[in-house]
Amino acid sequence: MTVSSTGEPEVRNGVLVDATYAEAFPMKATRILITAHTPVWARHAALSATGFATSVIACGCEAGIERELTRDETPDGRPGLSVLIFSMSGKELARQVERRVGQCVLTCPTTAVFAGIDEGEAIALGRNLRFFGDGWQISKVIAGVRYWRVPVMDGEFVAQESTAVVKAVGGGNLLLLCRDTESALAVAEAAVSAMKRLPNVIMPFPGGVVRAGSKLGSKYAALSASTNDAFCPGLFGLVDGSVLTEQIGCVLEIVIDGLSEADVGAAMRAGMLAGIGIGAAGGLLRISAGNYGGKLGPFHFHLRELLPDREAA
Amino acid sequence: MSGWRLALRQVPALRVDLRGIVPNALDGLSCAEIERLPVGHGNATLPLAEFFRVEADSGNAIVVAGDLARFDRVGWQMAAGCMHVEGNVGHYAGGCMSAGELVVAGDTGLLAACEMAGGTLTIGGNAGDFAASTLPGSMDGMRGGLLIVRGDAGARFADRMRRGTALVFGNAGDFLASRMVAGTIALGGQAGAHAGFGMRRGSVVFARAQRPLHVGETFVRALGTTDVYWQLLARDLARHGGPFAGLAGKRTERHLGDLAAQGKGELIFVS
Repeated sequence: MTVSSTGEPEVRNGVLVDATYAEAFPMKATRILITAHTPVWARHAALSATGFATSVIACGCEAGIERELTRDETPDGRPGLSVLIFSMSGKELARQVERRVGQCVLTCPTTAVFAGIDEGEAIALGRNLRFFGDGWQISKVIAGVRYWRVPVMDGEFVAQESTAVVKAVGGGNLLLLCRDTESALAVAEAAVSAMKRLPNVIMPFPGGVVRAGSKLGSKYAALSASTNDAFCPGLFGLVDGSVLTEQIGCVLEIVIDGLSEADVGAAMRAGMLAGIGIGAAGGLLRISAGNYGGKLGPFHFHLRELLPDREAA
Repeated sequence: MSGWRLALRQVPALRVDLRGIVPNALDGLSCAEIERLPVGHGNATLPLAEFFRVEADSGNAIVVAGDLARFDRVGWQMAAGCMHVEGNVGHYAGGCMSAGELVVAGDTGLLAACEMAGGTLTIGGNAGDFAASTLPGSMDGMRGGLLIVRGDAGARFADRMRRGTALVFGNAGDFLASRMVAGTIALGGQAGAHAGFGMRRGSVVFARAQRPLHVGETFVRALGTTDVYWQLLARDLARHGGPFAGLAGKRTERHLGDLAAQGKGELIFVS
């Protein structure tokens, strides 16, 4: 059994919190604002632009919808969504932003796109997409900001020239060890819902949840990562080093990317508290986290340190 | 930087060239040094003290008191700081300025803000012909910054304008935005004949357009909507108030041209 630094098991509402930490790594990120004539079309564009963006392992970036924006919060007074995009380098991020905005936002009826971060190294947003206008594009500087107006079949596509890249943190995570599939899904959904209320973070996997947690390396030389066998219930009793017990029938993971270490920590805390609120009675038996012994990244989120004191809780 | 007050002693007999009397040039100088600064008077050069009584002022701006209608190039090539003129000025006011703020309470002569590249020039009265335009023989007119004319503007306003924003709260003369290359003009009143003559790009907003619209034969009415751009522009113009307040909530009609030039300019009529 895992014990706290004081030697006592950390159990809250029947949920054991492992004495471990999530290991996260530095990323580069940007925020873009997508607006449209109606919230429906803004969401169509945002969902498309953030599609196939679960992991930098094969998607090039990790992206998600941060939150909905009211008309008062957007530059053009229309409904919109803010989207966060993370990648391992500024160069790859620039490539992903241009590709995704070009294929998924420019193409979507009535949309416009704006930078959601002002401070930082600038990368192209509409700067190169303007050439789609075939010479009919128009530059416009309004209040010191350059926009591009590209004629399209529903009118014109307006894109701010650039957005800014900032340092960010990727790979924060929680492992939810549950009694069965139903309880695991309910706990994960509650945790993701609590995390989504916070700014500056996204959970990039489908529904915010990933079942295919990975470990570094593989028996196959071509693979850099493979299934996290220590947390696979189906391998309990078969693999060396399984960290499960007989009571655990399903493990789900939530991966968190944030604009800062504090943002990721806050999201992990919110997720843990949501799970603890459901408790062992609801099927959550343990909370753990993925790390690689400190080899992967400099950001270590110790689960027990993230939890508020019992009195405060 | 400390402030200075320049009080006009008397209206000079000849025109005076006031170039060089700008905040960035006066910074760090003593009162005596400022009084000795040379200014052109006809074909002669005289010390500034011949025309102005120079006093230290509590603010950070250069305040010039008196009717300076015979003083040309006020704020010429101004690159920093603030300068306030409590009356009229002559020609070339704010010409080639690149930064800072120049405020003229009264009227300006010809070529105000010509080839202006940055900063803000506010004219409380009327602007003469060729404001925000180009110096004779030069290719580009106003190329940055913000020009605000709270009264009327003369003919050829923003001729060859390339960049920046120019607002006229009142009326403008003939050939508004002629040969315009780019930038934004907003007009609160009515324009004279041939608005947009030969314009290649750029936007001219008629905040209070009157029907029937006077649009040249070489302009074509645009069909597509430009709601996003209009909201961005209208919200920015709204901060200047007056005829530009509340533009975001109004409908527009766009005409594109001048087809005789390149056809990428736009006249935006607000209704």
